[in-house]
Amino acid sequence: MVELAVEAHDITKVFKGGVRALDGLSIQVEAGKVFAMLGPNGSGKTTLMRILTTQFKATSGTASVFGLDVVREGKEIRELISYVPQEMSVWTDITGYENLLIFSKIYGIPSSQRKKMIEDALEEMNLTEFADKIVKIYSGGMIRRLEIASALLIKPHLLFLDEPTIGLDPAARKTVWDKVLAFKKEVGMTVFFNTHYMDEADAYADQITIISKGKQVANGGPDALKASVGAETITVALACPEPGDGVVGSLKGLDGVGDIVVNEGTINIHVKAADRAIPGVIDVLRSNGVVINKISTSMPSLDDVFLKYAGTRLESTTSIKDIKQTRKRIGGG
Amino acid sequence: MLIWLKNIGTMIELELRRLRHDKTELYIRAVQPILWLVVYGPIMGAARAVPTGGIPYTDYITPGVLIHSTTFVSIFYGLQIVWERESGILKRLLVTPSARYAIVIGRAMASGVRSLFQVVLIVPFALLIGVRFRMDVPGFIGALAVIFFSSGGFAGISILVASFMKSRERFMGIGQAVIFPLYFLSSALYPINVMPVVLQQIAMFNPLSYIVDAVRCLLVTGDFSNLLLDIGVLILFDAIMFALATLSFKKIIE
Repeated sequence: MVELAVEAHDITKVFKGGVRALDGLSIQVEAGKVFAMLGPNGSGKTTLMRILTTQFKATSGTASVFGLDVVREGKEIRELISYVPQEMSVWTDITGYENLLIFSKIYGIPSSQRKKMIEDALEEMNLTEFADKIVKIYSGGMIRRLEIASALLIKPHLLFLDEPTIGLDPAARKTVWDKVLAFKKEVGMTVFFNTHYMDEADAYADQITIISKGKQVANGGPDALKASVGAETITVALACPEPGDGVVGSLKGLDGVGDIVVNEGTINIHVKAADRAIPGVIDVLRSNGVVINKISTSMPSLDDVFLKYAGTRLESTTSIKDIKQTRKRIGGG
Repeated sequence: MLIWLKNIGTMIELELRRLRHDKTELYIRAVQPILWLVVYGPIMGAARAVPTGGIPYTDYITPGVLIHSTTFVSIFYGLQIVWERESGILKRLLVTPSARYAIVIGRAMASGVRSLFQVVLIVPFALLIGVRFRMDVPGFIGALAVIFFSSGGFAGISILVASFMKSRERFMGIGQAVIFPLYFLSSALYPINVMPVVLQQIAMFNPLSYIVDAVRCLLVTGDFSNLLLDIGVLILFDAIMFALATLSFKKIIE
């Protein structure tokens, strides 16, 4: 039997004012794996993470971390986990070393081990050189690495990362992930991260749960999820209004065609082999008077998975609050 | 209990480290109380309008001005907590093994550090204009302890207020609205018995009256007749504020 790091059953969370952030969500995360919660901003990822990290209670449902109940055994859980929230979570008016020193004291690390653990964590995250510099002058990527360093100080069994690379440039994103995974390999911890970057979930996660509006829409390994939407996708950009249901019906009748999703002037057709299906697709569209603007083929991505199960694209749901948050982080907060 | 104390110690250390890097705010915050002392004090003293029981007016108000200034510092310390909510630091602290009340009390008591620095900045100006302190080391240490613990209580008020305020701007307004009534309805600037009866009754419920009285007897008058009552009120005030702040903390984080 596999050990479960996280188990949540039928979680709902209704905030004051009636906002339903989670709506009957259940997940299971295997210990020692990298788990990604993928969904657009506002889909309930952060709320679930805050419930699992014992910050507040769910409205209904049960959840446990390494078999410990998140409501009744919060203190025991907090001794096993670390958490890096999406927002900046270090003090910017003291140095990097001082931040780690304060956190090590809050965690109750004995003074005899403190210095070594801090130095190791700084080394691990490539921050030794900047240890005595005030955090205000750090770049976004360095601040993120400092936050992760402070979370790894206690060598947690489970590391929660909420949007770990939001607002970082691609090089900094890669560094953050390389460091987290190297550390994971060394100590064998479980990583639970929230993201709205599909490429990140695809590249780093062993298991992905896709959520939308507080509900799970799909769950599985990245390859299995992609395979579930078909082998390849033909994307047709239309020059005319939406095609009728008749057109979609005729397309479905073609050999080797799977799901079809019509969205904002494009048709996504999941097929077994794109090169064989294209002639038939073009014939059907032309004979129905549909004017084609552009046609392209692609291997399936998690975006297609999301589109199939949630009926919308990931990017289209970003709110002004998220944009502000991201910009703030880019600006160094 | 031990962890609880350690936590407060860590929060105080954090505050000291921050101050080491940037003391500007401390200096700016000291300007106003110094003006009360060197401008308002001598003018009102010369007018001889306030019966102070035979002690010079500037001597009389010095403890009040010290407490006013440290109350300011502590109440606006809540701003820090509003900022920490907007950032991720509070969330982060909640996911450490520390108990929630230890985080709240630790954050509140850390404001006491800033308050003590205020005292250090203001006292030389008081000496300069001729305020005669009782030159009594235990008395001075006692006064510092009263100031330190009262700051914790007032920071507790600010955490409570912060739990209702969703933005810093609103907090600024409310902060002022809390501090001035506390100040004017206490014995900081004049004895309570010169106030109209209704205001006297309100002043009796104002913790600041007792705190000022304690500091005044320890630093200036040497009349300890009410000291036990004063300290009792201070302990009660801190206990209630810490309890309310811990309860309201839930609202801050959700």
